[in-house]
Amino acid sequence: MNKNLLLSLFLTVIVSIVIVLGCRKATDDSQIVVVYTSEDQVFSEPVLRDFEKETGIKVKAVFDTEEAKSTGVMNRLIAEKDNPQADVFWANEPVRAEVLKQKGIAAVYRSPSGRGIPDVHKDPEGYWTGFSARARVFVVNKKVENKPASILAYTDPHWNGKGVIANPLFGTTTVEMAALFTLWGDDKAKAFMEDMKKNNVGISTSNGESTDFVASGQYEFSLVDSDDAVSRIRQGKSIEMVYPDQGEDGVGCLIVPNATVLIKGAKHPDNAKRLIDYLLSKATERKLAFADCAQIPLHQGVETPAEVKPIEEIKVMKVNYSEVAKKMQEIQPYLKQWVGF
Amino acid sequence: MAKKPVLISIVVVLAVIGLLPLLVMFLRSVTVEGHFSFAAYEGLLASKNKWILLKHSLTLSFLTTLFCAIIGVPLGILLAKTDMPFRGIFVVIFTIPLLIAPYIMAVSWFNLLGREGLLARFWGERTAAVTSEFLFGLPGCVLVLFSTYMPVVMLLTITFLKTINPRLEEAGKIVSGWPGVLKGITIPLIMPGILLSCLLVFLLTLGEFGVPMFLRYNVFPVETFTQFSAFYDFGAATAGAIPLALITALAILFERIFLRKKTYQVKLASEGNRTIVICLGRFRKWFAISVGILCFFMVILPLLLLVLQSMSFNAYARGVDLAGDSLIRSLSYAAIGASMLIAIGFFCGYLIHNRSLFLWRSMDSLTVFLFALPGTLIGIGLVLLWNRPATNFVYATPIIIIFGYIAQYTALTSRVTVSMLTQIPASMEEAAQIVGAGWLRRIGSIVCPLAKRGLVAGWLIAYIFCLRDMGISMLVYPPGHDTLPVRTFTLMANGPADLIAALCVIMVLATLLPLGILTVVFRSRGLTE
Amino acid sequence: MKSIVFKSISKLYAGKPAVLEFSLEIPRGQRLVILGPSGCGKTTVLRLLAGFITPDKGSIEIGGQVVVKDGKNLKEPEERQLGMVFQDLALWPHLTAKGNLEFGLKAQGVPASKRKQEIADVLRLMHIEKYANAKPSQLSGGQQQRVALARALILKPKALLMDEPLSSLDLELSLKLRKEILRLQKEIGFTLLYVTHNREEAFEIGSRVVVMSHGKIERIGPVDHIRQYFKQPPQF
Repeated sequence: MNKNLLLSLFLTVIVSIVIVLGCRKATDDSQIVVVYTSEDQVFSEPVLRDFEKETGIKVKAVFDTEEAKSTGVMNRLIAEKDNPQADVFWANEPVRAEVLKQKGIAAVYRSPSGRGIPDVHKDPEGYWTGFSARARVFVVNKKVENKPASILAYTDPHWNGKGVIANPLFGTTTVEMAALFTLWGDDKAKAFMEDMKKNNVGISTSNGESTDFVASGQYEFSLVDSDDAVSRIRQGKSIEMVYPDQGEDGVGCLIVPNATVLIKGAKHPDNAKRLIDYLLSKATERKLAFADCAQIPLHQGVETPAEVKPIEEIKVMKVNYSEVAKKMQEIQPYLKQWVGF
Repeated sequence: MAKKPVLISIVVVLAVIGLLPLLVMFLRSVTVEGHFSFAAYEGLLASKNKWILLKHSLTLSFLTTLFCAIIGVPLGILLAKTDMPFRGIFVVIFTIPLLIAPYIMAVSWFNLLGREGLLARFWGERTAAVTSEFLFGLPGCVLVLFSTYMPVVMLLTITFLKTINPRLEEAGKIVSGWPGVLKGITIPLIMPGILLSCLLVFLLTLGEFGVPMFLRYNVFPVETFTQFSAFYDFGAATAGAIPLALITALAILFERIFLRKKTYQVKLASEGNRTIVICLGRFRKWFAISVGILCFFMVILPLLLLVLQSMSFNAYARGVDLAGDSLIRSLSYAAIGASMLIAIGFFCGYLIHNRSLFLWRSMDSLTVFLFALPGTLIGIGLVLLWNRPATNFVYATPIIIIFGYIAQYTALTSRVTVSMLTQIPASMEEAAQIVGAGWLRRIGSIVCPLAKRGLVAGWLIAYIFCLRDMGISMLVYPPGHDTLPVRTFTLMANGPADLIAALCVIMVLATLLPLGILTVVFRSRGLTE
Repeated sequence: MKSIVFKSISKLYAGKPAVLEFSLEIPRGQRLVILGPSGCGKTTVLRLLAGFITPDKGSIEIGGQVVVKDGKNLKEPEERQLGMVFQDLALWPHLTAKGNLEFGLKAQGVPASKRKQEIADVLRLMHIEKYANAKPSQLSGGQQQRVALARALILKPKALLMDEPLSSLDLELSLKLRKEILRLQKEIGFTLLYVTHNREEAFEIGSRVVVMSHGKIERIGPVDHIRQYFKQPPQF
């Protein structure tokens, strides 16, 4: 009987190995590109599939989770630095792209597709190029009558305990905080953060979670990314989207573009460049505008749906992403202490 | 003789796959720009805040383990040793939360108890405000992790109850009723199994951060996670895991001291497969109702929303379309992983049980440390060690995922083996030895058949853990070769709720169906009951 | 020729002697009984001879070959060509009676046709032919004893070691099996090393008795001499 058991286990192993190997279709290595992306899979995967169809180049992707659920592609890219497996990094915000530049993981590539994109959304040295941006917006529960108009609502006693923000150690919230620090200076920014705490701001694990909390009524408003807001609105959740600080005195709304990075030492550099060209094209920006992520094209003259405000109509927070990236790394110990870790 | 070479090779395999990545990470933690430095460790516990986080972790782990033991052991006894109806169904249902990522369980509980959760619709906002208040904090964390990990205690209790020598219980029954026998004889006899399950639950909870973060209860593993995800500082992340490693060492020491002076009777050859069943008589129905109520509130209700959310053909169709290939990969990797784990874990357990090599204690400690460490730490260690052109045949293939499983989960199969071997008299192997059987023949023809129930249980437990793994898989899967849990989490970011719910249900079914088939096959061969 | 020779065997556990300076020569075909109370070291002597434990000092020879010397096993248990009946019998529950007998023959590489014959012979010898396909859990205590004996004898060992094999049986069965053991020993002529705490059993089975106490040999001699020695009943 023990022989049969061993045989059964052995056969299971063999069959499994066969299945696993069988799942790996033989692909010509020259027709592959490996992309790591922190853009949500539901939005990025259709674009990558389209690239596959149009070019015949097989895309092997590593997707990311929401920031605070697990460590993901950034750590992988850093750990793989000496023998990179990725060819392209599609970042969902430029600050992480800057981090890769600083760590010597990025290579210079100025894509012809990026020519129409304003310089403010590109690395001046050519290590990354921005495209398809999100705006940092408020989501507000529909039951709330007087909607918050400024980021200062977080410190307004009227909104005591009613606001929630994603953990500022991770994701685009870090970028937002770092941007405020560059804009206001350290003292004012820290005061703002301490006042937020005194005003009993809730801390969620991600922008998506914040949006869900607001939709469920757990909180009344939150500062999130526009794609989180639009996707929930399209799902019929009970929220509205508000662009903060659009008034004369307002600091403006932070715009967070996606960014493409060519990985230094990429094994398929030609295919990588083709993918970057594709991502930075007007056609891709149009797709991402019409998708549930409703991202704002940075090229002029790209068709957008009604609910996506063209970037010219938004008062944008004036920041330099390179400075924001540097500031982000400076303030992280403070943010860590602020969160309570 | 084959014994020493085989056991030494197991030590080497575990050292290469498990220990080396750790050493790589440890080296990172004590070097800064090529120079030796303890900077990563300075201030690790200097701030009052860190001590508070550590206290939170210990409190959460202790309470979760306590409740899991208080409920899981009696439940295991009811389901394994009585004639209560629907036992098989209850075992399956109670096991379901173990198959789902704890974070998803937390979201399910939120959908039930949150301010606008299911309960709010029936009991109003005021009650929901109270339940929401309860959920966000320590009590909520304990509730969620209890519902997730209680099956570990239940399953191991059931496994170990099958190994008891019925004569010992009969001897007790002559002079006492069943409550006295259970308290004085049965439970003490299965104490190694209970302690093992409690140790596992304690360590799993200690390393958990996703649920506490969601429910806003700050715990110590966040330190490691934050160093990885916010600072990208591998050295500091490793340093952050050291306190957890020390606590693990203390837990192992405590377990060893507690078990040191215990001896355990064995089921003799004359007993065959006999297990005494407790007849509940007129209480049969009431026990079934009570367990049913517990099952309903603990498992069915929180998961009801998940199932209801997924109830659309489109969601399942899309789920299969988006995740069908990752599902097949998950099942395959889990089967291969479980098979490798039972092979390696068996010999590791044998080595520990028989103290066959001088470093048996170190092997036990190493496997348990690896189990307790955050998967991310092991994952990054594997990347740093194996991501080289010369070892691409490992790193760029699913083999690296299997390595991750072996590194993280060997303690499960090893400890189950040790506990099973404790139940087998040494004379069984000695009798084979004296008639001339070499070591491999003794292992294959005598020890393994006698331990087969434990091996099957170990395989099934390893399969579950490999299937639900995310921490390591997330970091090492070759591009385009993600597993279902990873795929579910990556799609969760702005993915439609019904799709995510459908993927969770697919995940549960994908685990239960093969498990069910295997259980039927093994049962037909008398390997399980 | 001496079948078994113990030379100054000592074994300590945590500094305490279980066996101390144990020296003994057992001629081929002798029925030697080691008699003593629980904890006197008699089972330890058996296990040292079998090779399951190693002495801290001394040497052991079997059939003229040194198997243990200077604290090292020179031959593993499976190489010593001994047979053993354990106190708990150690019958393998997943194998039938026939399977229990066949296991050792297979391990020794005996061809299938010869195995069949050997098994049939031993089953007949022990009067357990009709239990060949039964599992140990289906057999009575006495039947299990016979299977255990058969398993030990089927490989024609140089010596048969028995560790209190009858201690769990009732008196009637015990008496019956004692006679059985004597009959087998007479028929086959193996060297017998039998351990017990039961004096009557010792005197019936043994031709020579070693009395042990606190790890040492207290007295050694033919059965009659030892019977005299025990005229004053000791407290075991």
